[in-house]
Amino acid sequence: MRITTQMTTTGVLANINNVQQQLANTQQQLSTGLSINQPSDNPYGASLAIQLKNDLAGLGNYQSSVTDGTAWASAADTSLTNVMSMLQRAQELTVQASNGDESSTDLSSTADEIDQLAEAMKQEANAQYNGQYIFSGTATNTQPYTTSTGDTFQGNTGAVTRTIGPSANLQVNVDVSGLLGSGTGAADGKLLDTLRSIASDMRSGNSAGVADLSSNQLGNLQNSLNSLEQLQANVGAVQNRLSLAGTRIEGLQNSDTAALSNDEDVNMAQAVTTFSNEQAAFTAALRAGANIVQSSLMDFLN
Amino acid sequence: MTIPAFTGLQTALSGLQAAQAAIDTTSENIANANTAGYTRQRVNLVENGSLTIPALTQQGGGTQLGTGVSLTDISRIRDQFLDVQYRAQNTATSNANTNASQLAQVQTAIDEPSSDGLQNVMSKFWSAWSSLGAAPTNPAAQQAVVDAGQTLASTFNAVSAQMQTVQTQAGQQYATLTGTNGQVQQDAQQIATLNAQITQATQAGQSPNALLDQRDNLVDDLSSLAQVSVSTGSNGAVTINFGDASSPLVSGTTVTWPQTLTSAAGGQLGALLNLSSSTGPIGSMLSSLDNVASTVISTVNALQPSSPFFSGTSAGTIAVSANASSIQASSSSTSGADLAQAIGNLSGGTADQSYAAFVAQVGDSVQAANSTQATQQAVLTAVSNQRQSVSGVSLDEEMTNLIQFQQAYQASARVMNAINSTLDTLINSVGAGL
Repeated sequence: MRITTQMTTTGVLANINNVQQQLANTQQQLSTGLSINQPSDNPYGASLAIQLKNDLAGLGNYQSSVTDGTAWASAADTSLTNVMSMLQRAQELTVQASNGDESSTDLSSTADEIDQLAEAMKQEANAQYNGQYIFSGTATNTQPYTTSTGDTFQGNTGAVTRTIGPSANLQVNVDVSGLLGSGTGAADGKLLDTLRSIASDMRSGNSAGVADLSSNQLGNLQNSLNSLEQLQANVGAVQNRLSLAGTRIEGLQNSDTAALSNDEDVNMAQAVTTFSNEQAAFTAALRAGANIVQSSLMDFLN
Repeated sequence: MTIPAFTGLQTALSGLQAAQAAIDTTSENIANANTAGYTRQRVNLVENGSLTIPALTQQGGGTQLGTGVSLTDISRIRDQFLDVQYRAQNTATSNANTNASQLAQVQTAIDEPSSDGLQNVMSKFWSAWSSLGAAPTNPAAQQAVVDAGQTLASTFNAVSAQMQTVQTQAGQQYATLTGTNGQVQQDAQQIATLNAQITQATQAGQSPNALLDQRDNLVDDLSSLAQVSVSTGSNGAVTINFGDASSPLVSGTTVTWPQTLTSAAGGQLGALLNLSSSTGPIGSMLSSLDNVASTVISTVNALQPSSPFFSGTSAGTIAVSANASSIQASSSSTSGADLAQAIGNLSGGTADQSYAAFVAQVGDSVQAANSTQATQQAVLTAVSNQRQSVSGVSLDEEMTNLIQFQQAYQASARVMNAINSTLDTLINSVGAGL
């Protein structure tokens, strides 16, 4: 083939351009740390990266649900533990009073303490987490017991759930109205009703009242204690499930992150090696080009 | 035997003239070594007719004496078949270049993978709903859902608008190139003018090298716009069929333009028509994006029964129609935040998956366009080199020729000198005794 002057110069330029293009690509990979900088670098890899990022975002949502649910459950657990100690105190007071050897003055002050305990329990039932009442069912804006409504439970029995996995909804609240009830007005035999009855028995000052304490109210208290233990067990089970879900989500996050890194991160060792190869090729292309373009027959003619 | 006394002088003179023409042509070649489209020229020489010299005796014999050299013409060294190949590859390369550069703009518009792309905006939208699911009555969480929705809608709008801009610009570029005084018309008119001049020169028996180079250059230029086929008539004028136009673009001195082209025209124009068409690659990407947007709209609105969250039907028209107070987190007063959670659970669902497929579609198109471009470029370079190899100027070769012709000139001059002194001897010495 006959080689002309223009062929030499355009060829040298085109080759230098090619090497520069490759260098620019490798340089971009090295500086971004990503092997996929545009979808066209690897279309399947790019769509895989998008799916993995979606997965990670979904897992992030589940993770924050777990965190939120855990905080909710532990707030419930604290309140129920407090209610438990109050219930035990009420039981203690009732057992002492049912012995029948306390004066009416003593009984009256014990009755006051029982009423205080009932109020304190309502206070515990009004516990909030993140601005929401945790014991009022789905009516999280409604205070379960208010001063104006007395012992009547204002919430509902709806389930508050948190999504902790694909189609995995976990109920994080417990129905405290099943334990405390709505007081004497409802005569539902629940804890508030029982406590108010105990107080009124004590205040009655007669032996029938004292007898009622041992014959009915101690039994009612025991029932409440049982259902409170049940609630605590429920909350414990929720906490367990949340903690298991949290561990599982972390595992999935780790494997998704690793997959994403495999997919779109650059292999540094390989990229650096490629870069130095291309750099050598670039230098060689420049040197060869400079020599070829400079020399011609004219250098040797006189 | 008699030989005319001054024959040798004439022969030497023809040698001088031939060498001078060759040196001048070499000079022209060197001067145009870097001129685009220049075809190297060669002086075509032919030996002059001989002088018959009769024998001295009547017995016959005699001989023929050469009378030098004369110049027939100065011609271009060019291979028409390489022109045909070059133009075909130029059409295909220009088509591939246009596709690659326009589709690269679409790819830039979608801005993936990055933290500003739709993927990230969409997953933030799902997260906002998921957070609302944990705090259904929290005003901040409600506002966050509306804000994330607005960001999502405006990102959809922006990506769609940018893709449409690329599409529209392709159409405008086509209109500019093919319109009145566009490149097609200008090239065609110049070719028609050159046709007239070339016909005239050819009929006068001349070889109009510079005009032919100009015309070939214009045809090369046209071949980047659409495919061309060229046929040369006996009078030297060319007829050019352009793209898939029904009549020839140039026939002799007649230009027929504008004409209708389709995307089958090839070249830059074919690519632009294809890109601007609603059924072309950008059109199909846009409908994929619209599909993602309408999936988002319908799935979210289905979970907002009393008042829709989004209005619009496509990526270009999607907008948030809800406000913080009209958002429904729950389907009934006792169902918790079921709706908000259900929308949060759309994360990674159909919309996200079809968006991932959309990105793969764009990536595939750009990758295919890039690799076609690279292949085409390599083929064009090879064909262009072949053409250059035939028609291009090699300075080394011209220098060699220059030395050769210079020496020929010097030798002819020396011959002339020798004849001169011979004649001097004859006239001054032989005749001195008279």
